Amino acid sequence: MAKGFVAILAGLLVSLNVWAGGGHGQPLEKANNDLRDKASLQRGAVLFSNYCQACHSIKYMRYNRIARDLGWTDEEVVEKMAHGLNKPTDAVLARGDLEAIAKVLGTTPPDLSLMARRSGPDYIYSFLLGYFEKDPEKGVWDNHYLPGTAMPNVLEDKYRFADEAERRHAARDLTNFLEYVGEPIKLYRQSLGWKVLLFLFVFFIIAYLLKKEYWRDVK
Amino acid sequence: MAEHNPNTPDFDKPGTLLQWLDKRLPLVETWNEHVGQYYAPKNFNFWYYFGSLALLVLVNQFVTGIWLTMSYKPSAAEAFNSIEYIMRDVEWGWLIRYMHSTGASAFFIVVYLHMFRGIMYGSYKQPRELVWIIGMLIFLVLMGEAFMGYLLPWGQMSYWGAQVIISLFGAIPVVGPDLATWIRGDYVISDATLNRFFALHVIALPLVLLILVFLHIVALHRVGSNNPDGVDIKKVKGPDGTPLDGIPFHPYYSVKDTVGAVAFAFLFAVVVFYFPEGGGFFLEPPNFEPANPLKTPEHIAPVWYFTPFYAILRAIPDKFLGVMAMGAAIGVLFLLPWLDRCPVRSIRYRGTSFKLLLAMFTVSFLALGYLGTQPATPTLTKLAQLFTAGYFLFFILLPFTSKHEQCKPVPTRVTYHG
Amino acid sequence: MSETKTVEVNLKRRRMLVAATGVMGATAATFLATPFVASWQPSERAKALGAPVDVDVSKLAPGQLVTVNWRGKPVWVLHRTEEMLATLPKVEPVLRDPESNESVQPDYCKNRHRSIKPELFVAIGVCTHLGCAPLFKPEPKDAELGSDWPGGFFCPCHGSRFDLAGRVFKSVPAPINLEIPPHHYRTDTLIRVGEDPKEGGQA
Repeated sequence: MAKGFVAILAGLLVSLNVWAGGGHGQPLEKANNDLRDKASLQRGAVLFSNYCQACHSIKYMRYNRIARDLGWTDEEVVEKMAHGLNKPTDAVLARGDLEAIAKVLGTTPPDLSLMARRSGPDYIYSFLLGYFEKDPEKGVWDNHYLPGTAMPNVLEDKYRFADEAERRHAARDLTNFLEYVGEPIKLYRQSLGWKVLLFLFVFFIIAYLLKKEYWRDVK
Repeated sequence: MAEHNPNTPDFDKPGTLLQWLDKRLPLVETWNEHVGQYYAPKNFNFWYYFGSLALLVLVNQFVTGIWLTMSYKPSAAEAFNSIEYIMRDVEWGWLIRYMHSTGASAFFIVVYLHMFRGIMYGSYKQPRELVWIIGMLIFLVLMGEAFMGYLLPWGQMSYWGAQVIISLFGAIPVVGPDLATWIRGDYVISDATLNRFFALHVIALPLVLLILVFLHIVALHRVGSNNPDGVDIKKVKGPDGTPLDGIPFHPYYSVKDTVGAVAFAFLFAVVVFYFPEGGGFFLEPPNFEPANPLKTPEHIAPVWYFTPFYAILRAIPDKFLGVMAMGAAIGVLFLLPWLDRCPVRSIRYRGTSFKLLLAMFTVSFLALGYLGTQPATPTLTKLAQLFTAGYFLFFILLPFTSKHEQCKPVPTRVTYHG
Repeated sequence: MSETKTVEVNLKRRRMLVAATGVMGATAATFLATPFVASWQPSERAKALGAPVDVDVSKLAPGQLVTVNWRGKPVWVLHRTEEMLATLPKVEPVLRDPESNESVQPDYCKNRHRSIKPELFVAIGVCTHLGCAPLFKPEPKDAELGSDWPGGFFCPCHGSRFDLAGRVFKSVPAPINLEIPPHHYRTDTLIRVGEDPKEGGQA
């Protein structure tokens, strides 16, 4: 009975993901990003600063937190991500004037701190790669995953001048960085987890032996 | 009991602090009555862990909840930010918050299993009707507690979930709309709603919960615990006046429940450290987006523990009747001790009719729980109506079938293979 | 119960297992308490707000004092003149703690001028008596403070007096010298307040 219960619980947790997929019928591409790949995260941070940060903030992050988690010094992080214009303790805000941007685009670009948790890394990856040139003469782009999006194809140079592999590489690094931003503690949480589980397993064995010992009384 | 039980602390030792205290507070008496000499049936099985586990989760929710209030800001402008502040800036805040959010779901898992145990083994029957009633009140308060707590992160699901549920009150004839406005304290879910839900969530309802849990245990210990055989162990006593099939709660069940608690902690830690979102069930993805009163999420589903009742609500095509059906689905559980007229408690000795009815009820409940998470397509609505019927049919048929049930003979002693 | 007493009880094993479970339980409780206790530490936000402050002293003229905010407290940076420095040894007989033995300062500032560079004085501008903000009174023989005033800091709340190295005079309410915050020179003219010099770095 206990086994069945655990199986049901595990099944409930893992298999039935009601929220899977943020797109409209378009199947998402797997991002296959790796949070442990520090070099990828660093490249993603710089890409974010170059291609996204004009309009998008990640306001729940500070530069010094990024530095600490990605293996940079405080001086390096502001140099690489903010050209030395911000203090390491500043929040990572959009560089543009959001009101002016809203007037041009008709919508305020959302904060991206929790985008990976809201829609999943695969969505971000697919979205970044989902642009196609609708009207090549006017240079109008649209996106398969969010048709009619107000966001321009910021990776346009990568679409035009880079090959497929390089574009995917950039999208993966950006996705990786945004997944990290969604929950900076994630790697630590997982590395702590197995130690806690190991401790509880030993505790379980000892408690079980104690129970067995006492219950020898009960006939 | 003159004979000293070697497993209970030595309270009789003269001149101790304990003795001094005991003259002024009924310490020894209380200990003996509820722990040291509380005789519980020796044949408790797997299903009997969930009572003590519910208590464990309650403590977890209290402690983590108190710590969360230290950094949480109950205002529409700051609530969402303060959650991220806890998750990122407060040392270990992420762990405390995940323990609380996981605890909420764990509470319902444990309580649903605890209730199912009660139904299976007839624990609501005479003389334990009041234990059941108090337990149902706990369940009711817990639902309120969970509902109000879910508004506090002020994400899209918090906001729109609360919007939908509070709108239900609007279905009540005459006073409905005014009542909904009164509950919100505004014409929409707003800062005022958040603030009062916070007050209720962190102090009023926990206090009620604590008192009810206390009464639940006191009432249980007054009549004694039921067991998987549904046998009254007090009927067969040994020469020392204690039940032959009973064993003192301490040390036997304290060590056994410790094993259960550690095993539970293991599963709990698996979720907290590796699946804190619970596959989108414990923390719903749209809730990572701040509440936006102008934009409804594409698909609003309540948290999983409300979905069976939510599915019943949606299955009924009339708003008022839907609300009534949902209320009745919970209310009818209170009546269970009187709807079930079979004198035999445990499913082990009950007739086929009860087993079939309970199977139908369980399948219906689980199916409704699943359907409540899904968008309401015509096919799924039809299915939800079918299972709603299955849910209520259990309570409608039970008084008739239980009266004429063909039961097996109940033994005088519990079955236990040591 | 009578039925349960027939088994021979291995008390030694029982006691050992009770102890082992107790130890595990106590360990678990300690582990579990750690996050709750640690969560009371200043958060990342508090640390960001209390982050070190850089002060550019290249334009600070001799005799001039600037006040910067560090962790919500006023921090003074005073460029002392030769005359000001000359008063420091003279007042020592009337100081309570001239050697700064009982006072709060980083080791690298435990000297007569209570600073890294003799002319540049960095101190927290909070009176060690009851937390008022002392006034900067650099002129000797100040009209209010008397003819023996050598120049220094005067607390208007309860009349505590400090010399130009923040050292407290005898027979005033303040018990110890003004606190010196950790600081170091990032460049020759850029002081970082709130951070000790790195090992081997420029003090």
